[in-house]
Amino acid sequence: MSTAFETNGLGKRYGRTWALRDCSLRVPAGRIAALVGPNGAGKSTLLHLAVGLLRPDAGTVQVLGETPAANRALLDRVGFVAQDAPLYRDFTATDLLTMCGKLNRRWDAALARERLGHLRIPFDRPVGKLSGGQRAQVALTLALAKRPELLLLDEPVAGLDPLARREFLQTLMGSVAEEGTTVVLSSHLLGDLERVCDYLILLQAAHVQVLGSVDDLLAGHRVLIGPRRAEAKVPGSVVHASHTDKQSTLLVRTNGQPIHDPAWTVHSVTLEDLVLAYLADASAGALPGPVGIEVTR
Amino acid sequence: MTWLTWRQHRKQFLFAIIGLAVLAAVLVPTGRSQYRAFDGSGLAACLRTMGETIDYRLADTDCHEPLERFSAEYSGDFAPAVLLIFLPLLVGLFFGAPMVAREVERGTHRLVWTQGTTRLRWAVTKFGLVGAGALLLAAAYAALASWWLYPIAVAHAGRFDYLAFDVQGIAPVGYTVFTVALGTFAGTVWQKVLPAMALTLVGFVGARVAVELARPNFLPPVERRFPVVAYTFPNPMLSDWILDRNVYDASGQVIVPGGDVFCDPPCPEYDPAAYNVHLYQPAGRFWLFQFIEAGLFVALAASLLALAVYRVRRRIA
Repeated sequence: MSTAFETNGLGKRYGRTWALRDCSLRVPAGRIAALVGPNGAGKSTLLHLAVGLLRPDAGTVQVLGETPAANRALLDRVGFVAQDAPLYRDFTATDLLTMCGKLNRRWDAALARERLGHLRIPFDRPVGKLSGGQRAQVALTLALAKRPELLLLDEPVAGLDPLARREFLQTLMGSVAEEGTTVVLSSHLLGDLERVCDYLILLQAAHVQVLGSVDDLLAGHRVLIGPRRAEAKVPGSVVHASHTDKQSTLLVRTNGQPIHDPAWTVHSVTLEDLVLAYLADASAGALPGPVGIEVTR
Repeated sequence: MTWLTWRQHRKQFLFAIIGLAVLAAVLVPTGRSQYRAFDGSGLAACLRTMGETIDYRLADTDCHEPLERFSAEYSGDFAPAVLLIFLPLLVGLFFGAPMVAREVERGTHRLVWTQGTTRLRWAVTKFGLVGAGALLLAAAYAALASWWLYPIAVAHAGRFDYLAFDVQGIAPVGYTVFTVALGTFAGTVWQKVLPAMALTLVGFVGARVAVELARPNFLPPVERRFPVVAYTFPNPMLSDWILDRNVYDASGQVIVPGGDVFCDPPCPEYDPAAYNVHLYQPAGRFWLFQFIEAGLFVALAASLLALAVYRVRRRIA
């Protein structure tokens, strides 16, 4: 399977603080990847490195097989919507379409007009006067009309109400499904993305904590519930444990090994539980890094 | 990119043109009546007949009377001319400072720099076109101000003096290009519009004061000596820029510092051997100095723009 986005030991520093460090990851082509992590985890930094807004201080970043920094040819093939969907607020949608049509060599004007028309977004009002949801749609349309091979969206739904979020993601999925576009969407909440993504990158404190296809991750983890014991012996590694007086709940990375101990009731895990378990314990290091996950693919 | 630059900045240009029209609406009628008085008072004709020196034995060779007539009407008009020196600053503040700062402040640089164009092309087109617009604007108001100021400048301290020099010729064009470049650069350093404007203001004042102090020495000044007790002395209306004037006695001691003295013979108060010394930049160097001044600021502007382009390409995300 070809790779749409890959980093090796990637690092970016602001002054003495590393916003992103030792970041190695790979997103196969055709995936819808959720880039999840708390605020300040380095999500925006990673996306900015991918789209060439930033240059790495360490390691390498490869997008569609190319280095992004100052790479005009690559920018033709990558769609990007920055956080808060920045647009020239006094421009109308028509102005913005004209602008992007003139700046990009690959530009599907018909697709853009059709999409905005379908969403009933007024063409002749300054976009500053549109609702947040409509602005986000305009920004997404500008990115989609480049017919990108890779679409990078930085917190695309952060400012939207729940209804607008759902609608935004639905239309996004509708637009990328046919083309097989690879998408990376960031969010500090998984909930927004859970239903649409099939790949997960979990960033925490400037590091990659979890990486892999959602199916593999779900198959490789189990929730075990059983009587409280001083020392739980389970196959695999415990990601997160919580205890009441009588009972222990463990989220375990089993990597597919069966649980034979009858003392445990075994449940499958939801993606949200999995993410929360890892986020709760940044130091647990329960996951032996992205490499382990890659091997299972 | 050309279309985008026009679309983004057309309002600014429109306001600038309106500003220019307002300026013209003030300067053209006042200028015309000024020229009428300049001709009507006989000052214009009189100045044309004056030579390098004035001879007091000939009646009215110093154009004293037409000057009085002209000054009676227009001496006050020099004060508003001071305002003209702030025009380049205004252009720099409103054209230069927001150029990069507003994009970064609103995050739109992340939109435009991720389209299929390079930042180099973005910066060169935008800076180039906005800079060219500012330059045309500056050429217009500099031409207007030069025309308007000419009669009062020659009737008073001369075209070469401080303030008069600064609003005429090509110097204001140099200042304007410089201030736009300064504002642009400031916006790449402090990526918010208001602080970038503040930096532009400080930088403009600093650079102007520094060059103002250096200007008398662009070329070594010329010295002239002439006797105190004489019928002739150098024509003061030539727009020479006199930097220093002192009166010496025969032994070379300064007897009148910071001034000059003319006395018709016979003159009992002064030693016939006493002499005036002027250190001055001759009026003939006016345009040379204009070119040096403008060139200096254009060179500064070029370096600032190069730095701004570098910062756009490598230092902003």
